[in-house]
Amino acid sequence: MSEFDSAASVFQGQPKSLAALLEASGERARLWRPDELGAIFRHQMSAPVLVDLGGYDPVTAARLKVLSDAQSLLLKSFSDLFHHPAPPLELLELTKDFAKANMEQAESSLPNEVAAALYYTSIAAALVRLGARITRLPEAELRRGLLWTREQAWLDEETKQLLLQAAGKIAPPDGGGGVKPDGPVSDGPSDGHRPPLQRGGGEPAP
Amino acid sequence: MVSGKRMPAEFSASSIFPRTDWSELGRAGEADEARLDRLIRTYWAPLRIFLVATFPSLKDQADLLLQDFAEDKILKSGWLQRADRRRGKFRDFLKTSLRNFVLDRLNRAEFKHAPVSLEELAQEPAAAEAPSEAFDLTWARTVLAQTLRRMEADCKDSSAGQPRRGQIWEMFRLRLLEPVFEDAAPAPYEELVSRFGLRSPTDASNLLLSGKRIFKMHLARVIQEYAEQDAATAAEIQALEEFLDRLAKRG
Repeated sequence: MSEFDSAASVFQGQPKSLAALLEASGERARLWRPDELGAIFRHQMSAPVLVDLGGYDPVTAARLKVLSDAQSLLLKSFSDLFHHPAPPLELLELTKDFAKANMEQAESSLPNEVAAALYYTSIAAALVRLGARITRLPEAELRRGLLWTREQAWLDEETKQLLLQAAGKIAPPDGGGGVKPDGPVSDGPSDGHRPPLQRGGGEPAP
Repeated sequence: MVSGKRMPAEFSASSIFPRTDWSELGRAGEADEARLDRLIRTYWAPLRIFLVATFPSLKDQADLLLQDFAEDKILKSGWLQRADRRRGKFRDFLKTSLRNFVLDRLNRAEFKHAPVSLEELAQEPAAAEAPSEAFDLTWARTVLAQTLRRMEADCKDSSAGQPRRGQIWEMFRLRLLEPVFEDAAPAPYEELVSRFGLRSPTDASNLLLSGKRIFKMHLARVIQEYAEQDAATAAEIQALEEFLDRLAKRG
């Protein structure tokens, strides 16, 4: 049981504390501090894939379970997924969509930076492990996003390495090699022109 | 300006809080009496501040007078009908009623030989701005204290059959209340993960977001009990935020 007496605190509190309470309880107030992003990303990477992606419609959720089970116990977490030598493409796409949905919501359950890192890491895993491109972001933009993510101090070394490898597969701005989109183009972050991505903004035309 | 149709909440010139839209008030008389009684007792502290600020010489009798005011049958009888839109928001209605009540009591025999004359008492209020601000601040504090009390009780209600409800209060306390009121650092993310057995950042955020939503819900309910209309409640919340923000910036 807590010893905290909320009513007494309110009556003893200064107006600035009361104002801060109302501000912090607002929908737009940041949930987590910037210095907690590393812990949150680590937690995200170790989280069971089915916990976060299980919220999809029943058909997708069932498909997700099949995909995860097909890899036996190897795909328990997002980290397992990203660092698997041959991760299921569909699972990477679902992860990217989950991250994108979080980037677009004002009242998201993931910090924008972590959602962006998850987004670019799922794209990187598809590029590096499968040679597949699951986004329709322009190359320069994708490259910039991958490199921005890699530069985040709170990111682990293994993920940084994956992002660097992926960036190497994208044609640099002055031309050259790189993986071209295969099959139908997927989506890009609705505001992917400049990482760190902001919530809201315009979606690239399909 | 006055019409029979629903009108948005208006701001009165005398106070930072919006006027209550009284046009749709018309509940059963018996329930209304109980409601007014409860509201007077809930907002006792700001009313006491108003009474003492208006009649400083009655400071020692303030609680007794408020007690009588709360029990006054004439006040409660058809108060909603009398508290029409022209009388402004609920707080103005209460203040005017209280002032009239005290003046009326002073007119009665037992106060006839009071050391201060009735005329003096009636003209006593001087510094209008400061007492009004103190009244509004105490009112805002009462609203927030009520909100948090109800939220805590709601979250700790074991009969609700929602085992995580208690965690929502704890998370809200650790991340919002203690940092705000005790100038403490918010509990670190890792500590929350292990303390509440959180499965993912989404799980963690949902717990905190739920706390914010429950807080907002109770805040709206507390205010709705006197502001009545949804629009008036929203305007009252905004006014409360702006008022506290202004005081906070002034330091």
